[in-house]
Amino acid sequence: MIRIVMAGTAFSIACSLQPLVGQDPVIHVLAQFPALILAGALLGGRFRLPQHFSGPALVLALVSLAIWMLPRSLDAALLDPVWMAAKFVTLPLCVGLPLAAALSHVGSVLRGFLKAQAISMLLFLGFLYTHAPMRLCNSYLVDDQQRLGLGFVYVACALILWWIIPVLFGHISSNKKDDDNDVSRHGIELR
Amino acid sequence: MKQVTFTLSAALLGCAAIWQATDGGRAVTAEGARRVQIAENPVHVPPVSLETMDGSLQMWPAQGQPILLEFIYTTCPTICQTSGGDFAELRDHLTDEGLDVPMYSVSFDPVADGLPELQSYGEAHGASGHPWTIARPEIDVVAGLLDLFRVTVIPDGWGGYKHNIAVLVINPNGEFAGAYDTRAFEDIRSAVEAML
Amino acid sequence: MSATDVHSAESGPNPQEALVKFTMLLGGVVFLLMMVFGLIMRVAQGDLISLDPEIFYLLLTAHGAGMVGSAALSGAAILWFFSARHLNLRSSIYIAFLGLFLAGVVLILGSIFIGGYGGAWTFLFPLPAMSGGLWEAWAGVMFCVGYLLIGVGFLLYYLELGLKIASRYNGLLGGLGWRYLFANNSTDVPPPTIVAASSVLVFNTIGIVFGAAVLAASIVNLLLPSFEVDPLLAKNAIYFFGHVFINATIYMAITAVYEILPDYTGRPWKSTKLFIGAWAAVVVFVQAVYFHHLLQDVNMPAWTMAVGQIVSYASGVPLIGVTVFSLAVYIKGSGLKWDLPISLLTLGVVGWGLGSIPAMVDGMVSVNKLMHNTQWVPGHFHTYLLLGEVAMAFGFAAWLVRDKAVTILSNLDRLVFRAYVFGGAGFVLIFLWSGASSIPRRWAVHYEQWQLQSQLASGFALIVVLATLVLVVRYVAGLARRSQ
Repeated sequence: MIRIVMAGTAFSIACSLQPLVGQDPVIHVLAQFPALILAGALLGGRFRLPQHFSGPALVLALVSLAIWMLPRSLDAALLDPVWMAAKFVTLPLCVGLPLAAALSHVGSVLRGFLKAQAISMLLFLGFLYTHAPMRLCNSYLVDDQQRLGLGFVYVACALILWWIIPVLFGHISSNKKDDDNDVSRHGIELR
Repeated sequence: MKQVTFTLSAALLGCAAIWQATDGGRAVTAEGARRVQIAENPVHVPPVSLETMDGSLQMWPAQGQPILLEFIYTTCPTICQTSGGDFAELRDHLTDEGLDVPMYSVSFDPVADGLPELQSYGEAHGASGHPWTIARPEIDVVAGLLDLFRVTVIPDGWGGYKHNIAVLVINPNGEFAGAYDTRAFEDIRSAVEAML
Repeated sequence: MSATDVHSAESGPNPQEALVKFTMLLGGVVFLLMMVFGLIMRVAQGDLISLDPEIFYLLLTAHGAGMVGSAALSGAAILWFFSARHLNLRSSIYIAFLGLFLAGVVLILGSIFIGGYGGAWTFLFPLPAMSGGLWEAWAGVMFCVGYLLIGVGFLLYYLELGLKIASRYNGLLGGLGWRYLFANNSTDVPPPTIVAASSVLVFNTIGIVFGAAVLAASIVNLLLPSFEVDPLLAKNAIYFFGHVFINATIYMAITAVYEILPDYTGRPWKSTKLFIGAWAAVVVFVQAVYFHHLLQDVNMPAWTMAVGQIVSYASGVPLIGVTVFSLAVYIKGSGLKWDLPISLLTLGVVGWGLGSIPAMVDGMVSVNKLMHNTQWVPGHFHTYLLLGEVAMAFGFAAWLVRDKAVTILSNLDRLVFRAYVFGGAGFVLIFLWSGASSIPRRWAVHYEQWQLQSQLASGFALIVVLATLVLVVRYVAGLARRSQ
């Protein structure tokens, strides 16, 4: 129950940001998008997904996110009411929810890989948005675009700290799945 | 195995979706998408009345020949000045190739851009009226034109505007048929030649 | 996961053995092929054959990328093999690593020999984009994507290693031995291999991240030239990545010495505070020393020059000093029986130590201004690779297929070993001599007065190639004998 309330809160925060997103891409991409994804993830945490659907769910989340990372999607979400509605539906239901549902099945190496990938994509987007020779979104100014690029970099730095510190100090939640797939252990048992 | 099959199918579908969303890998920005869509589906341009820098009114666009145009506002301190220079270079390039194509710099701010402003912009960039002229439409058709040519204009916070700039091509049937980078002279020339 | 060590040296077959043996075979064959490329280049510089300069630069690029790649591959195989004595590592991850690595190699070879990419293994911006018409942008992109695939493979490899170390030794700080070093907590001190593995995975992951960032930027620049990259920033990122990556190959391979030598001397290699402290210094220094690649870039701030020079001196001392000294102490008076594996491994440590001396010389700003673009620098890195990492790799390979009944050097083994040392030492000394006489590096065609050195070097290189051929054949024969 509390999760649904929290999801509802995240969703309504996202809705309340809507009047601001036209002027500022930082609010659009780094505040409203995460709020919508979080709303879906909070719903999806309760979802018991069969093992063999976890791969497709992960792919769905990553593809949907990739499409929302296209500058033209940002423009469309501001100019076209259908795209704006799609934003409020697909970010929670096609990104947040399947991501949260799939992650419980994902082994720690793949999880680490996804984290590394997320960081490098953020840094990469940071590079693109700060170095682009033209405006990527017709709806935003170059200054805003560069602020958004720096925003991507700051988020990447924050994620690095958040994810690295536990590894250094050893609060690793050993994942049960790792041992299920443990080929080397089978090797020992055979001995 | 089942999981691998499912995941692979999902990944294939995902690639197809991204392919679709980028018009086959051709456009990741709205500006890129505009150019792809225009080239594939020319749009009829309804005739409007334009006032050119020599003060005459003409029904525009004239049919039977290709026309090049770009949208500007003359008080623009940045991109319109650069693109004005680019447009002059484009005119020289086409003239050298023996192509006589009417070119229009159309103001989307006819309130601020009166006849004197159009003329001084033309003088500053060497537009002599033929083949290149500076023009302005009636105020009440501006929104329709911008919408038709998919130009997005937003205030820049300093009293001016930001807008996507491109060289737009109208084909001999009076249809909006292409958009190009302001310095893509060769591409524009071959597009024009294909229409002659 | 169980908290006890799952394997010790004597507890039975290593579950990763088959995969590692296969990797060493790949690495050995590629080493040999790349040595042949090197020989061809030296022969061409000596004007003994005529070689189109365009092909020279293809070979130079392939030689660089191929040698760095196979050094990294063999180092990774060695580290994986010995880490599996202490950790439950999953073969599936290693297979994924190997698959990505090979896919990357295919792309790199394709970009060089089909696409004609000849912009050197360092892909220094904006060289891939400015080919002067020799190769198309797609060849540069293909080369960069090949690197990215290899980087992704290594990322998986280090993630598995890091996760298993972190859960077994209570976090990476435990795996690095820092709890023992700084908090004096002597429970569960990690063995030397784990200290090395933790250190390498920390700095090489950081290096790969920077490498991937600059590769992605280069790819965008190749496809959309209007996205420009700051060339000095790109150079910093590339040399940071390149320096860390090539150093990591040796730091991974050295674990073979830590684990194999005790089999011979009967004295286990211990994780002392000095040892752990030396590795802690390496983690810092290996990342700070790359400035010595940029001493000629006048726009770099002055402090980077100071750091580059000081750390060049300091970085040799901790680990190489500790390892060479410890090796001498462990060997002395142990009644060690010299066979081919231990001879090659010892050569590797000695060559590594000696090879760092020319680097310290070149790390001096005043010397660097004169020497950096001469053959002095290839002299340095060929010493620590040819007589260092590669010797360790072949020592490890020979150890994998050793005949336990034979504990002495056979006559053939003695001849091969001596030929390798003689040829290798002659080859690198000529590089150093040429560098000291200001013969430039990376020149496809040499003036007549430089050709004597190249001709002599060709002779030594031929000896090394022949010795390596025997080492590879001997390894294959050993694999075949043991599989019967």
